Amino acid sequence: MIDIMCEVLTPENLTDALQLLAKADSTTKILAGGTDVVVGKTQGSKRFADTVTLIDINRIEELKGIFEKDGMISIGAATTFSEICKSKLVEEKLPLLKKASSTIGSLQIRNRATIAGNFVNNAPCADTVPALLVYDASIEIKSQAATRNISLQEFLQGPYKTQLQQGELVTRILVPTPKQNYAGDFYKLGRRRAVAISRLTLAVLILLNGKEIADIKIASGAVTPIGKRFPKLEEFAKGKVMTDNLLRDLSKKMGEEVLAVTGLRWSSDYKLPVVQQMFYQLLKGIER
Amino acid sequence: MSKDFSIVGKSVIREDGFEKITGRAKFADDYKFDGMLFSVMLRIPATHAKINSIDFSEIQNNPSVASIITSQDIPGAKKIGMIKNDQPVFCDEKVVTPGDVLAMIVGEDETELRNLVAKIKVDYTLLPTLTDPTKALEDNALLIHPELGSNLICYHPLRKGDVEKGFAESDKILERVYTTQTIEHAYIEPEAVIAIPLEDGAVKVIGSIQNPFTARRIVASVLNLPNEKVQVVQAQLGGSFGGKDDTMCMLSARAAVAAIKLNRPVKIRYARDESILESYKRHPYILKYKVGFSKIGKINAMKIDLLADGGAYCSMSPFVTWRSVVQATGPYEIENVQTDVRAVYTNNPYTGAMRGFGSPQPIFAQESLMDEIALHVGVTPDEIRRRNGLKLGSVTATGQTLKEHDVNLIPVLDKAVSFTNFAQKWKANKKEQVAAKEYVFDKPIFRDEQFIAPDSLIRKGIGLAVSFRGCSLGAEGLDQSSCYISVQPDGKIVMLSGLAENGQGLRMTLLMAAAEELGVTTDKIIYLETDTSKIEDSGPTVASRGTIMGAAAAKNAAELLRAQLEKVVRDEYKLDETDFISFRENLVFSRKKGMIAKFDDVVKAAYENKVELSAIGRYKSPDVSWDEHTGQGDAYFTYVYGCQVAEVSVNTGTGEVYLNKITAVHDPGTVINRLGALGQVYGGVTQGAGYGILEEVTTNDGMIRELNFDQYLIPTAKDIDEIKPLFLEGNEKYGAWGAKSLGEPTLELGAAAIANAVCNALGKRFYNLPLNLEEVLLGRKLRPQDIKRGSL
Ligand SMILES: Cc1cc2nc3c(=O)[nH]c(=O)nc-3n(C[C@H](O)[C@H](O)[C@H](O)COP(=O)(O)OP(=O)(O)OC[C@H]3O[C@@H](n4cnc5c(N)ncnc54)[C@H](O)[C@@H]3O)c2cc1C
Repeated sequence: MIDIMCEVLTPENLTDALQLLAKADSTTKILAGGTDVVVGKTQGSKRFADTVTLIDINRIEELKGIFEKDGMISIGAATTFSEICKSKLVEEKLPLLKKASSTIGSLQIRNRATIAGNFVNNAPCADTVPALLVYDASIEIKSQAATRNISLQEFLQGPYKTQLQQGELVTRILVPTPKQNYAGDFYKLGRRRAVAISRLTLAVLILLNGKEIADIKIASGAVTPIGKRFPKLEEFAKGKVMTDNLLRDLSKKMGEEVLAVTGLRWSSDYKLPVVQQMFYQLLKGIER
Repeated sequence: MSKDFSIVGKSVIREDGFEKITGRAKFADDYKFDGMLFSVMLRIPATHAKINSIDFSEIQNNPSVASIITSQDIPGAKKIGMIKNDQPVFCDEKVVTPGDVLAMIVGEDETELRNLVAKIKVDYTLLPTLTDPTKALEDNALLIHPELGSNLICYHPLRKGDVEKGFAESDKILERVYTTQTIEHAYIEPEAVIAIPLEDGAVKVIGSIQNPFTARRIVASVLNLPNEKVQVVQAQLGGSFGGKDDTMCMLSARAAVAAIKLNRPVKIRYARDESILESYKRHPYILKYKVGFSKIGKINAMKIDLLADGGAYCSMSPFVTWRSVVQATGPYEIENVQTDVRAVYTNNPYTGAMRGFGSPQPIFAQESLMDEIALHVGVTPDEIRRRNGLKLGSVTATGQTLKEHDVNLIPVLDKAVSFTNFAQKWKANKKEQVAAKEYVFDKPIFRDEQFIAPDSLIRKGIGLAVSFRGCSLGAEGLDQSSCYISVQPDGKIVMLSGLAENGQGLRMTLLMAAAEELGVTTDKIIYLETDTSKIEDSGPTVASRGTIMGAAAAKNAAELLRAQLEKVVRDEYKLDETDFISFRENLVFSRKKGMIAKFDDVVKAAYENKVELSAIGRYKSPDVSWDEHTGQGDAYFTYVYGCQVAEVSVNTGTGEVYLNKITAVHDPGTVINRLGALGQVYGGVTQGAGYGILEEVTTNDGMIRELNFDQYLIPTAKDIDEIKPLFLEGNEKYGAWGAKSLGEPTLELGAAAIANAVCNALGKRFYNLPLNLEEVLLGRKLRPQDIKRGSL
């Protein structure tokens, strides 16, 4: 019964894809796993209302694969979450990304859904965004005319809004290989244990020098309009000794920042205490 | 009673299992016919409105529209219903709830019809709405159906003894109010039906229909046709749980009206959002309990007031609430009981039958209450139930003396308690229990003491609930069933039952009952599709009566047939009168001569000798009785008993309740298909868990927020760690070898057991289902102001 009434083009390589994109207008959208596009289209989402053509990028070899080169881990834009979960490199070097990927939807969704689809769609609850943000991910974007690199943070503009321009395709995600021994964790809270939209996600990486916090990276999702880093919190924590008091203060400050960004909403009575409590719990878990 | 069976009690894979997992099984929407048309419904975004006019002019002459179907096209009844005819097939005068359908457009291109339906202009005047059931009976309440003069759908009183005297004699009195939520059946297959015109103005209906005979009655009344001109065939059913009755009758009627008008096959199929919008739900209840008990926890008196929100239509409300009035005290012997149960009309989505049928609501209340009594008295929850529980010879709240079957309440309780080491765990958790941190929102930002030490974050809890449940329809109505069996010349047997498969595996259960009696393997019997024109009405597949009524009829048919076959054997193989014949695994044995023939040889001999090899087996329930004014009588002819124990981990920081283990001990009487029985437990427990912690249909001025499965959350396989089914097969003189009921008992206990477990973990009691994140953390529900999808 589901008929999304779109023409689907299936370029076999990057050159062809970019050529098709160059000719296309705003009624054309890229189709990766389709787990946002197809669902959005059937639900009558405004974002896809005038979409009539889809360019399927699943056959393009250049958008696949995970490898390390010159101190960078490179992940193809059309890599599925199942592929990310199976990658030894990701498991070893980017454990938070593996954990975040493994919480997405169900096995069937992870077999289709891609990493670029997640942040290009940029829902508030895109689960891999906080993980990618704490790893300082950047992305490679190509159009027929040019290639550009941009940090993910900059790329993400607002709920369902990014810097992606007409005719552009995200080709790869680039993460500097973490050089030192960061400890960290990813946390997701949903209403159930699978196929759950996040109510809260948190990602934290900490580099300790003895008991002192040499470096810290903090990001959240689903409690703010889009996944975001917390630079003020990070600055506050750097150079301080990791005491229980500090962790409480950090958690309260996280609550304050979330409140400042969102104001009081119907869900704040629940989300504010939970974000503080679970951020604290996450930090305590890393400490141990 | 001999329990030396060759097939009964074994685990047998259902006969349609292979078709279903390979995708070959044919569900209603898989049926396609030449010239078939589709239909799209016209609705307005209103909860209560008077329709002034409908302007079809923009689509009237559109070639994609084969016809516009309105109430003008209905030759017969314009209003239908399970009990009361209060639901218009097409609501062209007034809309009383958002699911209401004003008209239907029919054509070849379903997608185009969806575009076109938006072009119909409806002029309507919004009316004030009534969505709070507690206001429905107020003097100045607006009337949902003014012609009925009141919003009261039904009222069931029950009076036993003298509650005031009972309270006066009590050492302690507790008064509590509980609420339960509206939930959706969430069958995996949304509604689909096709009506096909036959010769002579007759019509055939194929659909995902729970009860073909009910659908036939309704379609016949709407078409103004005699029953025999309406043939209803059930397709494979992708789940029902009581939910494919009224809605499917309604859709069958609409499709049939169009098919007759256009003389072409007409299909109606719903997508999920339309299914959730229009189909009926489980009744939300407000339950007020007052209980008086002695120092040792013996209950003297219970006063109960239940209010069910029936929504916009009557549907099954009178029967649903009748089961509540019978079972409202729970399985306890109480001398003085006063119960009042009412169902009322509101503009909310209407509510009707759903697996459990008026029992999960009072069980949540009464089992929460029993745990509170245990705490007051200072005994464990199992002990308080032992002190009050029904035993052989006990008198129920309706004045019925329990006899002639194993009254296995205490045995199932004891089995569950010892298997889970309940009392010890309960006491240990209680010692550990920290009263859940009450988040006082004077300030949005935490005070230091509100952070929880990591090793106290997760709290363990254990809780239990018990129930008794009347089998089959009881005093609700006429209770009988039929089954037809005949043997073909090649030894194959065909079976036709008047009870319809609902996806639960009823067919295999009936096959096994007949196979046991005839001494054949189940693969020799073919179960024919349920068709209202081929077998007599056996009542609906509801009330967990499929096995107790259906298997008994199948067994009776097989018994009649076997008697015929025995006669043939005796003549053909010259056995004397004192010899004993037995049938086993497609072979026939004589006690004196050993194996004497194959089953097929006997059949051949029977055909050669012109012996009739067909039989109709019948089963009629024993008599029950009911006095409507006092709520006294032998409500059901027998009962089943169950106990479920929930072991949970509660996250005190987020309010998450994780289900580590549910142990389900049930006495269903004799188990026929063990695999089917296990399936019932796994499914029922999971649905019960959804009711307990996740599921809720919420409305904003009557409009449903959760119209699809991204918002309406049911448990996944990951949300429950372990389900442990245990059967305690008590003796019973009714049914086939004492096989009774299991389907609904498995669902009705979970929410109550979980709520008790959460209380054991936190030391805090919850009175309002579901125990979702907000309820557990904050003690209340949070809702967005509107019905927009996916707001933060
Ligand atoms: C049942 C279900 C469960 C889900 N659960 C989760 C969950 O738990 N967590 C979560 O975060 N998300 C979840 N999602 C959402 C979705 O699966 C993810 O956002 C996913 O990562 C989207 O990827 P995709 O490849 O399917 O994207 P698509 O739907 O193919 O595309 C999404 C958007 O990205 C654009 N796009 C895709 N690839 C590129 C590219 N290379 N360059 C430029 N633009 C591109 C598309 O044009 C489109 O606008 C769920 C979805 C469903 C249906």
